[in-house]
Amino acid sequence: MRTFSSLLLAVVLATLPPAHALWPQPRNLRTGSDKLKLSDDFKIHLEAHVPQDMLDAISRTEDFLKKDHLQRLIVGRGSSDTNALTNAKSLSELDLYLESGADANSITTEAQKPIESRDEAYTLNVPNDGSPANITASSTLGLLRGLTTFTQLWYEVDGTIYAADVPIYTHDSPAYPYRGFMLDTARNFFPVSDIKRTLDAMSLVKMNQFHWHVVDSQSFPLQIPEFMDLSIKGAYSSSSVYTPDDVKDIVAYAGARGIDVLVEIDTPGHTSVISKAYPGHIACPEATPWDIFANEPPAGQLRLASNETTNFAANLLAAVARMFPSTIFSTGGDELNANCYDQDPDTQKSLNETGRTLEQALDVFIKTTHKAIEDLGKTPVVWEEMVLKHNVTLNPNTTVLVWEKSENAKTVAQKGYKLIHAASDFFYLDCGAGSWLGASPDSPNWCDPFKTWQHSYTFNPTANLTDDEAKLVLGGQHLLWTEQSGPSNLDSIVWPRAASSAELFWSGPGGNVSHALERLHDLSFRLQQRGVKSIPLQPLWCALRPGVCDAVPHTSVDGVVQSTSFAYHDDQVLDAGIPRHDEL
Amino acid sequence: MGGYLFSVFVLFAWVPHIYGLWPIPRSLETGSVALKLANSFRITANVPHPPSDLSDAISRTVGHLRTDKFERLVVGRGSADSETIQHARELKSLTLALAPGSPVRSISDEAILPIESRSEEYTLHIPSDGSAASIEANSTLGLLRGLTTFEQLWYFFDGQVYTLEAPVSITDSPAYPYRGLMLDTSRNFFPVTDIKRTLDAMSLAKMSQFHWHATDSQSFPLVIPGFTEVAAKGAYSSLMSYSSKDIQDIVSYAGARGIDVLVEIDTPGHTAAITESHPEHIACSHASPWSQVAGEPPAGQLRFASSATANFTANLLTAAAKLFPSKFFSTGGDEVNTECYANDSQTQSILQSTGQTFEQALSGFMQTTQGALEKAGKTPVVWEEMVLEHNVTLSNETVVMVWISSQHAAAVAAKNFRIVHGPSDFFYLDCGAGEWLGNDVSGNSWCDPFKSWQKSYTFDPLANITPEQSHLVLGGQQLLWTEQSDPSNLDSIVWPRAASSAEVFWTGATLPDGSPRNVKSALARLHDFRFRLIQRGVSAIALQPLWCALRPGLCDGDS
Repeated sequence: MRTFSSLLLAVVLATLPPAHALWPQPRNLRTGSDKLKLSDDFKIHLEAHVPQDMLDAISRTEDFLKKDHLQRLIVGRGSSDTNALTNAKSLSELDLYLESGADANSITTEAQKPIESRDEAYTLNVPNDGSPANITASSTLGLLRGLTTFTQLWYEVDGTIYAADVPIYTHDSPAYPYRGFMLDTARNFFPVSDIKRTLDAMSLVKMNQFHWHVVDSQSFPLQIPEFMDLSIKGAYSSSSVYTPDDVKDIVAYAGARGIDVLVEIDTPGHTSVISKAYPGHIACPEATPWDIFANEPPAGQLRLASNETTNFAANLLAAVARMFPSTIFSTGGDELNANCYDQDPDTQKSLNETGRTLEQALDVFIKTTHKAIEDLGKTPVVWEEMVLKHNVTLNPNTTVLVWEKSENAKTVAQKGYKLIHAASDFFYLDCGAGSWLGASPDSPNWCDPFKTWQHSYTFNPTANLTDDEAKLVLGGQHLLWTEQSGPSNLDSIVWPRAASSAELFWSGPGGNVSHALERLHDLSFRLQQRGVKSIPLQPLWCALRPGVCDAVPHTSVDGVVQSTSFAYHDDQVLDAGIPRHDEL
Repeated sequence: MGGYLFSVFVLFAWVPHIYGLWPIPRSLETGSVALKLANSFRITANVPHPPSDLSDAISRTVGHLRTDKFERLVVGRGSADSETIQHARELKSLTLALAPGSPVRSISDEAILPIESRSEEYTLHIPSDGSAASIEANSTLGLLRGLTTFEQLWYFFDGQVYTLEAPVSITDSPAYPYRGLMLDTSRNFFPVTDIKRTLDAMSLAKMSQFHWHATDSQSFPLVIPGFTEVAAKGAYSSLMSYSSKDIQDIVSYAGARGIDVLVEIDTPGHTAAITESHPEHIACSHASPWSQVAGEPPAGQLRFASSATANFTANLLTAAAKLFPSKFFSTGGDEVNTECYANDSQTQSILQSTGQTFEQALSGFMQTTQGALEKAGKTPVVWEEMVLEHNVTLSNETVVMVWISSQHAAAVAAKNFRIVHGPSDFFYLDCGAGEWLGNDVSGNSWCDPFKSWQKSYTFDPLANITPEQSHLVLGGQQLLWTEQSDPSNLDSIVWPRAASSAEVFWTGATLPDGSPRNVKSALARLHDFRFRLIQRGVSAIALQPLWCALRPGLCDGDS
């Protein structure tokens, strides 16, 4: 009997392309192959006291189900499903359950908890007989993740909304608690609506951290009530700013979608623009030639050896930290240029007076500024140089962003710091599009080549790490530095590529790019249906024929590819007792 | 009066001398006097019975002057100009005139003339005293080019539309007549609105040729009267096809903007989609593994050795040619895969029964299809393989597109064919974004790296071409193959990069002052062009942080 059902399973595996297109792939998934219609009077129920953002998530979900209108990515776009649909059962109810004893906090509150105490696990069960589906979780954040999975099950043909692979059962939770995306809003400005659309897309792939690199040397768009001159004089224009209301709006929008906002005020480097309002605090402002004072124009860094400047920076960081509810806060710390300080008489004078070296002065600066945010209950986040290149005292809880190259994670872990993977050799979305500096006929981009989704997808978060070191890995993120980006290409340069790290850090490493591609197509098309200009990964002809456009094609008979397997991790087809319709 | 002169002086001393013109005219003199556009500003055509597309072009220009609302790319975005603008004279009118004896034809008719007889030259004069500006040309097409230049002179601040560069005196004409952009609408589909927006952007860069790679192996979106079954079965969906009405709409929209539409039905390769309606004409249809029988999936090529297939193709091309008024028609001809035919028993039995070699049969096919097009009054255009890799008889009039490598242009010229430069090593917009084939973790695009605007801008159309051959170079174009593109990234992958070849082939090797064209000085103007596109709804991408765009030269790599 066992042998027989295994054989049957093998046959099914060999002939049925997987209909489900979940991204990220749940860590535990069983699917059948029945069709299930969504009833016109479909409703989502949640008993118990329900926070407002949970109610909003429910109505957004009901909306997506009605409006996604995504046709299946198969030849005929689902027209071959219509026969099966006439006899399919209808689902009219999805019930959400918070496990007994769980707090009915808002999604926002859950999303903004310290990284390692967030609870995103959920169980989703969709029967094939039309009886109510259910999602169970021990937090509203988990229920949101379950709803997100649920919306990815549904397709449309001829006005009928249906799922193609019920029954479905999944018990799902993320492999890593930090799954992020970084956006630089200083090189070029992005209106709030672009950020919100990005948060929508992030939420669809269960990302939970928006790393907002909000200011840099080029512009200071963040309005800080105590430091209004910074944005008045440093923003690109009076309309290219984020007001405190905008920040609240973005933070709330993110929170309701299960996303925490990690803001970064990069210090002491990358601060040239502060010289517009506070020239006394900036060394080598806009000095030329820029390339001996900075990694990119314009040059200018906080006078870290000055007491006044250190206190100014501490107050500034504290003021910003009060605008963001997250428990983490990034003080930056990358690409400090020593020559800028060597040639700054003010800094040299401070160093002489105090008898400190530049590194000692930096240590004081970091201790002071970090204390200011720690006093507000924030855990500092820094770029890797703060632990790899400088000799500064950091709180052992400090979280380190690894960016220069992925290999540096090992050294950071050896020093015992928690880390976030953000390596330029895997996750920088801006690489490969040519040099943005002027007067350079054909110079490559510094981080060439372009980082394909396949490349990011095959990243190993624990490469070279011992088991103990591996525990320090919180997760990772894609990043968009915006020298050559703005609202014009935000969607197209980010999506669907950024989704590859979302799956990597949710489902865990080891995914197969060949199997991932068809699900990533599905995600990309669903994003388009939701107004995100995600780009095509292949000609539509290929998207409708999984595997046929592989570089090394599988065996194929008349265009139908025999999937050798569609499983990884503990993904499996529901037991052989489930009736199936073989559509092929 | 003294104050007025003073402000002119200050202006001259303060403002870096930047023109926002793209492509930069061949001959250009500008001053530094400010002029503002009068509220009553109007454009008058001193043309008897002006064609309606000229009147439309005038209305569009007046509209753009009002709606561009483009602030100068300087620190303060023009706020420093406001004092100057207040005291500036007003320009009340622009007059268009055709040179005496010039025929009055519509812009569309002028744009589709045989490529070497198009007249795009014009002169533009804007006096500094507020008296009427003028554009003079030998054709309505030249007037359109002049209007396009005129639009690029104006900026917006605080409700005023103004220029800082009067007097302006321009005598302009293109270095090369073919300045194009190719779009592939087969790998992924593009609605008519996307194509029209692209034509708008092309027109702003004075491009003259839209090369429409309409069909390919992946889909056949072109609805051709008499052959409607090909699109009915070969398009991605009925909504993803171009009806005769769509085609007419695109052709007339392009024509009114000075753009000729060169359509391509790629043959005999790149035709797998035809198998959906005519399996009898396609060899190795969807064969697997594709890599042995095609450049990319799906495999499938016209059975060119079959006379039935050759006649079918000739009739198909002829019917398609009727939809397009252009003199040009491209029959493609790239990447013909011999292995596909070697494995096709039908082709093999035909070759055996006729005693023809593969190349002889291909030559026969080309003569049949090109003959049909020539009978329809068209000049055939082919990809380079047809002259460099195959031994087929082609009409001397044939225009050859160089694509595999820029190095191949010399070999084409040596065979005395006219050339359009479209080399992948300079002009392919899709390169550098990774492998699109599935199941290839570390793959990059075959034509890596990304072709930056700077790379394209440094292309030399006459490299390795002798002076005697230089007349063969018609111009060139950037190209978008759409394996990884669709409406989501059309604008961002094309603009402003595609404008770099527009200037290469309009302006030629030297700037108006005689110095060599160079990326260092081009950047500020290309920023200007890009921001103006944004104002017009084209999602052209940023080339630098805005901080740099407002400070020409300060973000140079050679600072």
